[in-house]
Amino acid sequence: MSKPVFVYVSYIASTPDKVFKALTDTEATGKFWFGNAVTSDWAVGSPVTFHREGKLILKGEVLEYDPPRRLSYTFKPMHDELYSGEQPSRVVFDLEKQKDQVKLTVTHDDFAPDSKVFGSISNGWPLVLSSLKSYLEANRVLHAPWYEKQAAAAS
Amino acid sequence: MARPRFVYVTYIRTTPEKLWAALTDPQTIRKYWFGITAESTFEAGAPWRLNFEDGRVADTGEILESVPPRRLAIRWRNEFKPELKAEGWSRCTMEIEMADYYPDFGGKAVKLTITHELEGEGTKFIEAVSGGWPKVLSNLKSLLETGATAFKD
Repeated sequence: MSKPVFVYVSYIASTPDKVFKALTDTEATGKFWFGNAVTSDWAVGSPVTFHREGKLILKGEVLEYDPPRRLSYTFKPMHDELYSGEQPSRVVFDLEKQKDQVKLTVTHDDFAPDSKVFGSISNGWPLVLSSLKSYLEANRVLHAPWYEKQAAAAS
Repeated sequence: MARPRFVYVTYIRTTPEKLWAALTDPQTIRKYWFGITAESTFEAGAPWRLNFEDGRVADTGEILESVPPRRLAIRWRNEFKPELKAEGWSRCTMEIEMADYYPDFGGKAVKLTITHELEGEGTKFIEAVSGGWPKVLSNLKSLLETGATAFKD
């Protein structure tokens, strides 16, 4: 039986530095992550906590911190008994620069067998990541890198 | 064995009517679908196709369901890549729901769910659309939220 993995790709008209900062900044996450503000010193092995209105919502541990390319931490929801009994899962953020946009790939895996957290995050990530995109975007649409490849091939 | 499928959810700060219009108006589709034009009236039973800017046919099919501004279902087959065309027909469903999220950004958003499922067996077509949908839908979201009208600078 294969373990579930949640993968979500989105393209954000911003820079890797800005996207990476938003994901790791207390003030920014408090805004786009629906009031859930992150705190960490981001050293590998350090704790990661999310608080909302003074209450501990999520805790984890930094696995990777490679700005502005890759961020990873373990993920243990604390706000509901339904989830807090499960072993921590893992989330990885991969940021790829594509001219004036960022391809952000979020991979969430390492779930406990029969995980209830999996169902919850499958609903949660599209919300949070849609919110992040709206938060960061300036007034532009996306760039199509494959058009440049075609033009280069034709010249 | 479950049929191969791709599901993608995004939340967009717009109204169901504006999102429906963006999904079914050929002029708007060109703006966020990287130059692709759609040929269809988008009524139930109507034929449907996507064409590249140079006129080549990208995909063909028909509208299976059309319930504005809630639900659009398209029978869909790739035409320009033999290995994708060989996998045959698929069903693409687009569902629009209200979402009471984004409280800090002035209220409501709409939830758009795309479900794309192959009728038969195969992995290449679903793999291809899995790469394409996030690009198209990210662009659609940017267009509706920021109002940008050009996709090339």
